[in-house]
Amino acid sequence: MPGNRTRTRTGKKSRTGKKPRRSRKAAAAVATGLAVALCAALTACLGPDGSTSAGGKVVLRYTWWGNPDRAARTQAAVDLFEKKHPDVDVQTSFAGYDAYKQKLATQAAGGDAPDVMQLDYRMIDQYASGGVLLDLGTQRTTLRTGEFEPGLLATGKLNGKQYAVPQGRGTEAVVHDPTQWKEAGLEPPADASAGGWTWDQWADAMRVLKKKTGKPGGTDPGQSEDAFEVWLRGQGRSLYTEGHELGFTVDDLTRWWTFTDGLRREGVVSPAEQTTQLDGSVENTPLGRGKALSDMNWDAPASGYLALIPDGIALAPMPSGPDGTPGQYFKPSMFMGVAADTGSPEQAALLVDFMLNDREAAAILGATRGIPVNESIREELAPKLKDFDKTIYAYQATLEGKLATPPQAPPSGDSALQTTFQRDYDQVSYERMSPREAAQDYVTEAKAELRS
Amino acid sequence: MTTTETPAPARTAQATPEQRPKRQREGAAWVFLSPWVLGACVLTLLPMAVSLYLSFTDYDMFNSPNWVGLRNYTQMFTEDPRYWRSVVATLTYVVIAVPLQLGLALVVALALKNMKRGRAFYRSAFYAPSLLGASMSVALVWRALFNDGGTVDNLFGTGGWIFRPGWALVTVALLTVWQFGAPMVIFLAGLQQIPGELYEAAEVDSASRWRQFRSITVPMLSPVIFFNLVLQTIQAFQVFTPAFAVSGGKGGPADSTLFYTLYLYDRGFVASHMGYASAMAWVLLLVIGAVTAILFRTSRSWVFYASDTEGGVR
Repeated sequence: MPGNRTRTRTGKKSRTGKKPRRSRKAAAAVATGLAVALCAALTACLGPDGSTSAGGKVVLRYTWWGNPDRAARTQAAVDLFEKKHPDVDVQTSFAGYDAYKQKLATQAAGGDAPDVMQLDYRMIDQYASGGVLLDLGTQRTTLRTGEFEPGLLATGKLNGKQYAVPQGRGTEAVVHDPTQWKEAGLEPPADASAGGWTWDQWADAMRVLKKKTGKPGGTDPGQSEDAFEVWLRGQGRSLYTEGHELGFTVDDLTRWWTFTDGLRREGVVSPAEQTTQLDGSVENTPLGRGKALSDMNWDAPASGYLALIPDGIALAPMPSGPDGTPGQYFKPSMFMGVAADTGSPEQAALLVDFMLNDREAAAILGATRGIPVNESIREELAPKLKDFDKTIYAYQATLEGKLATPPQAPPSGDSALQTTFQRDYDQVSYERMSPREAAQDYVTEAKAELRS
Repeated sequence: MTTTETPAPARTAQATPEQRPKRQREGAAWVFLSPWVLGACVLTLLPMAVSLYLSFTDYDMFNSPNWVGLRNYTQMFTEDPRYWRSVVATLTYVVIAVPLQLGLALVVALALKNMKRGRAFYRSAFYAPSLLGASMSVALVWRALFNDGGTVDNLFGTGGWIFRPGWALVTVALLTVWQFGAPMVIFLAGLQQIPGELYEAAEVDSASRWRQFRSITVPMLSPVIFFNLVLQTIQAFQVFTPAFAVSGGKGGPADSTLFYTLYLYDRGFVASHMGYASAMAWVLLLVIGAVTAILFRTSRSWVFYASDTEGGVR
């Protein structure tokens, strides 16, 4: 670029050849000044992209979202990696899901994506088609995927290229405080094989909890696109069609929001002031804040509640459709991807391989990102799992073979729509709009989002 | 490319000998101006031109932009309910925050003007919040103060203001109003310019304090009031940091603090619709321009310039 500019300058000068000498000098001085300033500016911008070597070491940036428990375990695993590979320095950082999502989008757009990043199912389409992610097929010798179940592995593929590798498998659960539930005389179905519970039965449980304890039974699920998806699937429908269009109508969403809004009005689920504080971290859920007795969440992050609820927590299956059709599914959770413009693709792949395939790393990480996808590690790990990891494993075992296949990866607009969903429901829970009005708004926005 | 269009040398081609010395001086002037010109072109004009172009595209920051004509603009006005909510929130904020801030600034300036001792101290003390104004940390403190279970909640049992749609906007407005230092200092300077003999004459005619304020202070200060009004209005339209921090980046609850710039940021950097965000930015620019023009137009009927009148002061 600076070169171009100077050339333009020279060209102009030769055309105005009759110019007085001193003026020409001045012009040249201006041009030089501009060129120098630009060079400085551009070098500053085009500087190393994070994979610099400091003191001969390769520096990798590795980011993820999660709770402090996951952070501690991840850091321990990373420390072990650094010990085994003394030439690599891994700089880690993490945030809550919402903050992470925003930050990663900004970084990726600015061409400054971290070398190794944790990705959600919803992000893969967006980042892979945007050229942010490295085709991991190019690192096949370093990053081994032989022990992965092909179906799950395929969820990280786009147009035949492996852009991300799933780290774990997760599913949603009704996370609850068993002690308080027992005191209220309630026994949530611990086992899906016993038929689970329908949404109506779940709502009745919320009512009983409110009556017995005075606290709302759970988080208002109306704000959660995930919960809505479970509800839809329980009725044989889906969030998106194969062709990446909306799989539901204004009527469907109106029914869902009328249902949840009714519960909110009864006071049996969290009030608007509580619900609006949800930001993807367990600390800000009504259950985590001691303002409700259950929460719908993914099984792996639920470990974060243990630090907040002294009595401990238990997992119950998500409510099912009226005829008992389960809506939840095993979702490949928390993919790992490598930035396309990383300076050290091999070391980055090495780190991914370590996190996914190393036995010692697996022992440290446990089920903090869901049950591992590497099958031999999963088998080896199962008997050794402790504490809450064991709970997750047992919970998933009760659902094994009962859930329908996961939907295809959501279209790239879904990540933004997830937030829109929450915001539109705010309008309902704050009683600024009727469920139908808000549903119409959502569908209008979603159609515009999916078109672009 | 714009950078190199420094016009002076190009036009000197047919310079007559007599004009040369001036042209040479101009050349030198351009050299000295070059850092500024460079800054203005590279950091302001070029990005503006690019954003105007992007506003007609579907640029998503990852793929190269495709021309979509006016689609971003039509979508904004016809297919985006949240856009209108952000417009309403911004206008409400401007209407609440600007008069409150200016009113408070004026009251404090009046009090300081008549103060015999310690004026410098109080002036600095009242100005201090403005120095911290743009900082994220103050906004975060604000969030903590008005949070559910925060200090204000504990003291007055208000509940978390930032989670109540009506009050959340007031909370953000309060933060702005609190930073009235800059207009206050300008008011104070303006007040000190008003000749004392006008008040003396009014005293002789036994005019009340209120009468003096209405008939002397306000008209004599009106150019300064106007200046502050224009400046603060423009700033209020662009409010971002306080709303971002107080609402945790979401503009909630129920989009009540989803100010225009916050929604613009959301579209651009969260949903990665840079083209759409650029279009929003241009509409904001036009609206601020129009509002400023209207303020200037109405100013003719209420702003009093002493120098315009016969034998004005000074």
